[in-house]
Amino acid sequence: MNAYPEFTVHDLLANSVDRDPDRIAIIDRDTRYRYRDLARCVSALTAALVEHGVGRGDRVGTYLEKSFEAIAAILAVSQAGAVFVNINPLLKPRQVHYILKDCGIQTLFAEANRLAALEPGAVKVAFFTGNIPPSASVATSLASVPEILQHGSDSQVSRPVLETDPAAIIYTSGSTGPPKGVVLSHRNVVAGAQIVSSYLGTANDDRILSVLPFSFDYGLNQLTTALRMGATLVLQHSRMPGDLLRSLRDYEITQLAGVPPLWPLVLQSARSLEERPLIHLRCLTNSGGRVPSRYLEELRRLLPSTRIYLMYGLTEAFRSTYLPPEELDRGPDCIGKPVPNTEIRVLDESGQECDTDVIGELVHRGPTVALGYWGKEAETRAVFRLAPFASPAFDNRERVAYSGDLVRRDAGGFLYFVGRRDGLIKTQGYRVSPEEVEDLIVSTGMVREVCSFGVADQEIGERIVAVVVPRYSDEGVADRIRAFCLENGPSYLVPRVILLAHELPKTPSGKIDREMIKDAFATG
Amino acid sequence: MAVDSIDVMTSLRQWIRDHVPGNRAVADDYPLIENGLLTSLDTLELILFLEQEFGITIDDEDVTEENFRSVRAIAGLVSRRGL
Repeated sequence: MNAYPEFTVHDLLANSVDRDPDRIAIIDRDTRYRYRDLARCVSALTAALVEHGVGRGDRVGTYLEKSFEAIAAILAVSQAGAVFVNINPLLKPRQVHYILKDCGIQTLFAEANRLAALEPGAVKVAFFTGNIPPSASVATSLASVPEILQHGSDSQVSRPVLETDPAAIIYTSGSTGPPKGVVLSHRNVVAGAQIVSSYLGTANDDRILSVLPFSFDYGLNQLTTALRMGATLVLQHSRMPGDLLRSLRDYEITQLAGVPPLWPLVLQSARSLEERPLIHLRCLTNSGGRVPSRYLEELRRLLPSTRIYLMYGLTEAFRSTYLPPEELDRGPDCIGKPVPNTEIRVLDESGQECDTDVIGELVHRGPTVALGYWGKEAETRAVFRLAPFASPAFDNRERVAYSGDLVRRDAGGFLYFVGRRDGLIKTQGYRVSPEEVEDLIVSTGMVREVCSFGVADQEIGERIVAVVVPRYSDEGVADRIRAFCLENGPSYLVPRVILLAHELPKTPSGKIDREMIKDAFATG
Repeated sequence: MAVDSIDVMTSLRQWIRDHVPGNRAVADDYPLIENGLLTSLDTLELILFLEQEFGITIDDEDVTEENFRSVRAIAGLVSRRGL
């Protein structure tokens, strides 16, 4: 038997091709692609990237709907020694331009119509999908992905890539400022696949439904675990309950990964699930926020043979803990125990380990701790710190991730989520900073002042509330602000509630008093 | 009882005005889902409304993107269920 190296993201593909090239790797809108088909397309795209001057460490964006082409692009960027930056297809040009500029993306994969919506000269090289090329103004040079996949060279381009090299940048929000790019090494991504596939017991006969976007670390994980185990990934394009149900049944899905807003959509089909149980669904996993108890109870009742895993983590360290199926009765705040190959500390403000049941900050040590935030030294130093508990026997420079999440650990070693140390909003499985929402609202030109915050919500974790002081108070201003936000931002960034005020309270230093505003308006 | 599809479209447009942010008037073929006006979670509320308003039952299997992509498509689904 061969020993397979697992150093880089593209090693995961190479190993599965070597083991069983005819196994189905991807199912995309009823088209089945074997591992050998995927490998051939990846080689062709890698050669094209090199030909277009993409060098080691260059950032390459993918602004694509989830598709076979998107997967081939991600793996080709990895094989070319460059860094893939998956951009959520829900984002609008305003947010995309920010990402392109923030990490200096000069090469972008996108559908032709998405490219057409971007500013002229936004990138140097655009790899477009679809049959009609976009106008030439968006990039200095254009390359057709369908053309390359059909006629491209299948010569093996191989560049030296180390597991410690950057592989990907994932954009996520903090409590302040615009989104930050979390830089992941190949080691980070591969370790994430190793860790999750080991505790879920993923095997090559698994059929994994990919519902979450590849721009989200846990969404990317369904792809990497499938590749690692030689399993089949089924791409899900619609979240409508009937479409989800059809995929789960028709493809005899064995693993389903979701975030909290997905579960009511699955439960919508309760009648059908009762009549015809999903006998193939071996496991279901949740990440990105707590599942409301009533949904969890319903899922357990309707899917009695499915093992339910509740995961907790943050992009800076991928996943930290999970609650295994047999422990679900510990209640909705329990986040379980550390994932394999990971150490979790609960530290007080002086860096000392907290006693049992004392609240402290969750600090993560292990191979999934990211390299840092792209271009943000101070923020990187604040979150990725030297371990205060490192051995003094040598100059240990290992960094651990400070999560900003407050937790406690019980006598049995189980961890419980208590709250955030800051104003970060967690909504619909997304992290949103209040400033991102405020920035979008200010850009309407309709407000003088604005403050946004999250309010606990059973269904979606937190719902976004914005309190605004309009320039001209007239009827319908809140509606017009909301309409503008929907046009210019992803729907999860749009406040559910917009409240009007004459003036916002200020702190002695003249800043808006977030605490006071939240207290006064939180019932909205 | 047959459901008149003109009535369905009128009530649907009203429901969208009341429930979808931005207070939009939409054309019959406007792509509701593709353009982000109707999220899958909104659809759950819409189904409740349709079932009550028109006394119909929508099968789990019928809650698809194709059937809810536009006002016209939804009206078509309601008519099929109501006949």
